[in-house]
Amino acid sequence: MILATLTLVTGVFVPGALVPGALVPGGPAPATPVMGAIGATPDLLAIKARRVLVGDGTEIEHAVILVDGGKIVTIGQDLPIERGIPVLELDDDQLVMPGLVNPYSRFGMTGGGYNDSRAQVKASTELYPPSGYRAALEAGVTTLGLYPAGTGIPGQAVVVRPMGGTSEEMIVKDGAYLKVVMRPSSSNKRNLKKGFEAVEKYRDKVEKEREKWEKKNKPSSKSSSDKKGDDAADEKKEESKSSSSKKKESPFVPPAPDEETAPWLAVVEKKLPLLVTIDSAAAYDHFIDALGKEDVDWSLRIGLSREIDVFYVKEKIGKQGCYVLIDPEITLHPGTMRQRNLPAEFDRAGAKVVLLPRSDSASGFESWLEDVGVLIGAGLDRKAAVRGVTQYAADFLGLGAELGTLAEGKRANLLILSGDPFEPGTEVDAVMLDGQIVHGETRL
Amino acid sequence: MSTQIRFQRGRFGALARSAQALAAVALVLTAQAPAFAQDAEDDAAAAVTDEKDVKWFALTGGDVYTGTGAVLHGATVLCKDKKISAIGYDLDIPDGAEVMDVSGNRVYPGLIASASFGLFGGGGELADSVDPYNRNMILALAAGVTTAVNGSQVAKLKRGEIEGVVIKDGAFESFNYSKSSPSSKAQLREKLETAAAYLRDYRQWENDVRSNKDLKEPAKKGVDQKVLDVLQGRLLPTFNADERTDLLEIARLAQRFGFRPIIRGCREGWVVADELGRAGAMAVITPRERRTRSEDLVREGGSSIENAAILYKHGVQVSVIPQSPGISLGGIVGRDLLHYSTEAAYAIRGGLPDDAALAALTIVPARMLGVDWRVGTLEPGKDADMIVTDGDLMHYQTWVQWAIVDGKVAYDKQEEMYFAHIRPRPEAALAPEVRVDPGEENPAEPPAPAEEAEKPAEQPEGGGGQ
Repeated sequence: MILATLTLVTGVFVPGALVPGALVPGGPAPATPVMGAIGATPDLLAIKARRVLVGDGTEIEHAVILVDGGKIVTIGQDLPIERGIPVLELDDDQLVMPGLVNPYSRFGMTGGGYNDSRAQVKASTELYPPSGYRAALEAGVTTLGLYPAGTGIPGQAVVVRPMGGTSEEMIVKDGAYLKVVMRPSSSNKRNLKKGFEAVEKYRDKVEKEREKWEKKNKPSSKSSSDKKGDDAADEKKEESKSSSSKKKESPFVPPAPDEETAPWLAVVEKKLPLLVTIDSAAAYDHFIDALGKEDVDWSLRIGLSREIDVFYVKEKIGKQGCYVLIDPEITLHPGTMRQRNLPAEFDRAGAKVVLLPRSDSASGFESWLEDVGVLIGAGLDRKAAVRGVTQYAADFLGLGAELGTLAEGKRANLLILSGDPFEPGTEVDAVMLDGQIVHGETRL
Repeated sequence: MSTQIRFQRGRFGALARSAQALAAVALVLTAQAPAFAQDAEDDAAAAVTDEKDVKWFALTGGDVYTGTGAVLHGATVLCKDKKISAIGYDLDIPDGAEVMDVSGNRVYPGLIASASFGLFGGGGELADSVDPYNRNMILALAAGVTTAVNGSQVAKLKRGEIEGVVIKDGAFESFNYSKSSPSSKAQLREKLETAAAYLRDYRQWENDVRSNKDLKEPAKKGVDQKVLDVLQGRLLPTFNADERTDLLEIARLAQRFGFRPIIRGCREGWVVADELGRAGAMAVITPRERRTRSEDLVREGGSSIENAAILYKHGVQVSVIPQSPGISLGGIVGRDLLHYSTEAAYAIRGGLPDDAALAALTIVPARMLGVDWRVGTLEPGKDADMIVTDGDLMHYQTWVQWAIVDGKVAYDKQEEMYFAHIRPRPEAALAPEVRVDPGEENPAEPPAPAEEAEKPAEQPEGGGGQ
């Protein structure tokens, strides 16, 4: 059992508050003090591990991780630990890695969606906190990106931690990305174009309002400076001049965009990235065609099917250097029995590969790392595999500064595994979420 | 770029030994004018943009079957962007041109299928739904097809591209004129008569209005626009007809109203070939079709392997189409679009001349679809759509090695997994077979296609069978 592997080293005694959820069901009550779920882990804690996967593809041997107040204070090799700090010393076989980030999931959510464009819909409104997120946590998933259902443009995803009794406690970031389903069809392409058209219309409206406002505030400035230039810059100068002379003038307030336009405005302003789901090479080309000259942030979700042909556009996608969310599956070259390792191919082509669980369920989460291991066996770069379940997944969600790797200042979301993450049979011994051991039992 | 094409008299003298070569010279010479005209036009455009944007592509050393009757042995086809710029010998190939040596192979115009299904994937508007990575598209290219009818549109098999796929909307207008439906027969005849009467009145008015400006234009009310288009030669009407009676009636209708019918099926066409020829009919036939004559008929009837040959002899322009115009890897292998040229080979078996058989796969369907000004033969100014085969196109052993659409290689037998292993090109035979993506830093790469292209591809042993 795990209890034997985690031993107390310092003289500090931490009373272990036993929380029922933290106990192994049916297991014998531990004789030694145990730290369990939230509240039981000391704020300040050092972890000593023989092997740590940082998440960015690098490894640290004989690492020390200092955690304080839910954040990682420092991490390094053979760091000295101050007296008095409780130390969690791991077994030689054990390994520490960042908590898994699954950015594309509907875990714990039900219901279907629509086939039209509803960019304003937010998955956060669907969130139902008590719906069994514990299973995700136990599989080592410390961050989930939940998207709204639908086959058109179903709406915006929310990032949650699989812990907490209310939505507020769970939500890490709302409006993480806008999901766009792209298939080679006029309606899917139209959905996207319409979004951008709405922004155009809104901007025209703002421009008109501004002109109106300027006209209203012009007469005084016009009289003051007759030789007015046509440039906007000149006009702006005039504006500032007139506003300084006439103090009571109120600044221009652009009209607020309507509910449907607001998310598209955020997309165009690069505040809301698109996640475009494609299921064929053709869908990618049609997406690029529909996107036209719009400069927005976008990533791809490629749902793998048995004979998917996306490898035809891997070079094009690789050149974009975008995130590619893909399942750890071996597929076949269409019409043949030749196997292809698409995640490996996309990685080599230059895309940032994010690997998802094969099935969006508790059992899928449990076998996630093992499935990725199969791909490593079939040629996927190991470093890319680690990044694909941690760093890149977090970066894709726009949370790279907070999550995804074990680094100074980041959230202390980490897993203690019984061995190499990609070996079959490796188990999640303990899960730390924001500095708290929330699953598994550890002994200080 | 008008100095592109240079001729050497000495070379021509040597060439003029055979009649075939003479034909070749004639072709090149006649090709000059349009080639220069186009170059001049392009020059103007290039001056505005950038000379470097022009993409030159040359196929050298192949036996070029132009589809116009000429065969140029070991000639060069020079393409500028998406168009053929010149065909001939000792062409000056610009620096930076992509050169593909196809010595020992034949170059034909890309084949045109007057019917197809499932080649373009998707549904609805092709511009928004075409799947240019579709397996069937690759296989159709492997069969040599570069242009095909999809629904009512004529589209190109542009591998990996979604732009410029559709080259014509409204490919066919079908009319029903069959003894199985007397009412629709009467209807069409009436429509034709109304339209003809309108045209008569209109011409009269056109003549009279010169002297009397107040004359009113005849009313178009009740005139079917499509039928009017047929009578004015803007639209070729298509009829589905197999039996002698129907064929005769259509031929007579065509002669009476002065239009050229396209007849699909035309099984018993050989019985009334003279009438069809006089009516200027065009036929889309399936040479391998087998249907015996009805026992209670005294007259000749049923299918005939000679159908194509007899129709052709009587002046009917003949095109062929397989029984199933899709790519079928299931039960009817050999009678689908994957064996398009085989269909024409059966027409040759029935007596159709070789050049007519090539035309049946290329320029005749192009004419029927109204796209013959762009595709169907290899001529300067036309689209750079061609196929390179390792032997006679009509031979069962021949493989399409490359298919080129709009001046770009759209299919390379050695690059696709489907037929690469069957009589592989010599260079490729030495390359290790790559199965599972090995996943190493430097995975074993198959030989680069460019390298392959530059080396002369030898004729595989026993291949060709000319």
